Amino acid sequence: MENTIKISVNDLNLFYGKKQALIDINIDIFEKNATALIGPSGCGKSTFLRSINRMNELISNVTTTGEVLIGGKNIFDAGVDVVTLRKKVGMIFQKSNPFPKSIFDNIAFGPRVNGIKDKKTLDEIVERTLRQAALWDEVKDDLQKSGLSLSGGQQQRLCIARALAVDPEILLMDEPASALDPISTAKIEELIFELKKNYSIVIVTHNMQQAARVSDFTAFFYMGELIEYNETKRIFTNPLKKQTEDYVTGRFG
Amino acid sequence: MDRHFIREIEELKKTLLQMVSAVDEQVEMAYNALLTGDLTNSDAIKKMDIVVDQYDNQIKEQAKKILALYQPVASDLRFVFTAIMINNQLERCGDLSVNIMQRIKKTQEARDIILESDLLEMIKLARFMVKDAIDAFIHEDTQLAKTVMDRDSYVDALNKAAFKFLVGKMEQNPLVVKACAHLLILAKHIERLADHATNIAEDVIFLISDEIVTHRFNEEASPAEDAGELPS
Repeated sequence: MENTIKISVNDLNLFYGKKQALIDINIDIFEKNATALIGPSGCGKSTFLRSINRMNELISNVTTTGEVLIGGKNIFDAGVDVVTLRKKVGMIFQKSNPFPKSIFDNIAFGPRVNGIKDKKTLDEIVERTLRQAALWDEVKDDLQKSGLSLSGGQQQRLCIARALAVDPEILLMDEPASALDPISTAKIEELIFELKKNYSIVIVTHNMQQAARVSDFTAFFYMGELIEYNETKRIFTNPLKKQTEDYVTGRFG
Repeated sequence: MDRHFIREIEELKKTLLQMVSAVDEQVEMAYNALLTGDLTNSDAIKKMDIVVDQYDNQIKEQAKKILALYQPVASDLRFVFTAIMINNQLERCGDLSVNIMQRIKKTQEARDIILESDLLEMIKLARFMVKDAIDAFIHEDTQLAKTVMDRDSYVDALNKAAFKFLVGKMEQNPLVVKACAHLLILAKHIERLADHATNIAEDVIFLISDEIVTHRFNEEASPAEDAGELPS
């Protein structure tokens, strides 16, 4: 099946003050695929991830040039509403961050902000997203329990359910399993497999095996540059660039 | 990267090279025995086979450990994968060399038939295919690996000619039937030796370029043709 481009990044440069963190990034990210971003610490992969929903703007002194097209529209254009953009482009962080509210309210929060008040509709959204996040069976009997009382792995899946509740098209994941035990990690990876049937996923991970397992495409970043972008199986069996080979085989530096 | 990992890979390489050297010696012994009829090394080749079998197990253990503990990728993955495959081919080359020596022993009185047949030409080709396949592996030489693959069809053709020749001999003289039956099997062993050399060459290409060239004729030829036509 031919892949459709979901995110098209053209000549993206990003500066923290005078320090350039992203250098001429050009990449097309495909719809309903998982794309892994790998590279050593400080290589720009998380900065790149945060560019896709303009999260970098929350940091002071950031300058961005170039364009990130989603659905053909540049997200940096003056008329773009950041709230709408972040609804479309959800984000899951390394450390799960549920609100200090019930499981139900965590998920219903976004839809309520978007004006959905009907209890039945909210019930449906909560059940659908908890099922999508493979958490429903574990929490369905007590949705009023605090989100903070769940285990680390459950909290992360709750955050995924919360992100899904506002009907995003793209999910950005910043090391979503790095703080989790192997069983919870396996559940998150399984979930990514399921979610990519309906969503476009971009995931930053330091875990090379995880990148190899969950993603269809992998982009290797080094010192702010995109060094190689290819099918994951290619990156992990026979990468084109020596720098990529050195990084994935652990012979870096 | 973990220095342990680099050390484990180096250790695997070392064992594989020891295996390569031992098997090459076995093939050389079988080759010389068929060329000269001299059976001096018939015990040595068997003793060497015990060593080769030990290397075989050792390589499997080392490769298993690396895969389980380090999950190698890219060129490391291809190397471990290739080590497992080549190890298998080498072990078979060693066994076939022993088998060839045994058949030479049983056909001492049929030396004139051996000299008249294509068997010597076959063993020369097969022996150098093994040597070149090994060299291609050691020096990561794709070109040399390809020349090994190209030579396999000559050995197959010689095997067919040897089959015809030996059947003819049996038809002419019932007294040589037993010796010729042994020589038919010997020819088959040589033909298999060349096949294993070809397989090693294919594995070398995978190691270097990640390209799987095994069964590359499958789309054009029937499975029987791919497996090598039977002599008729």
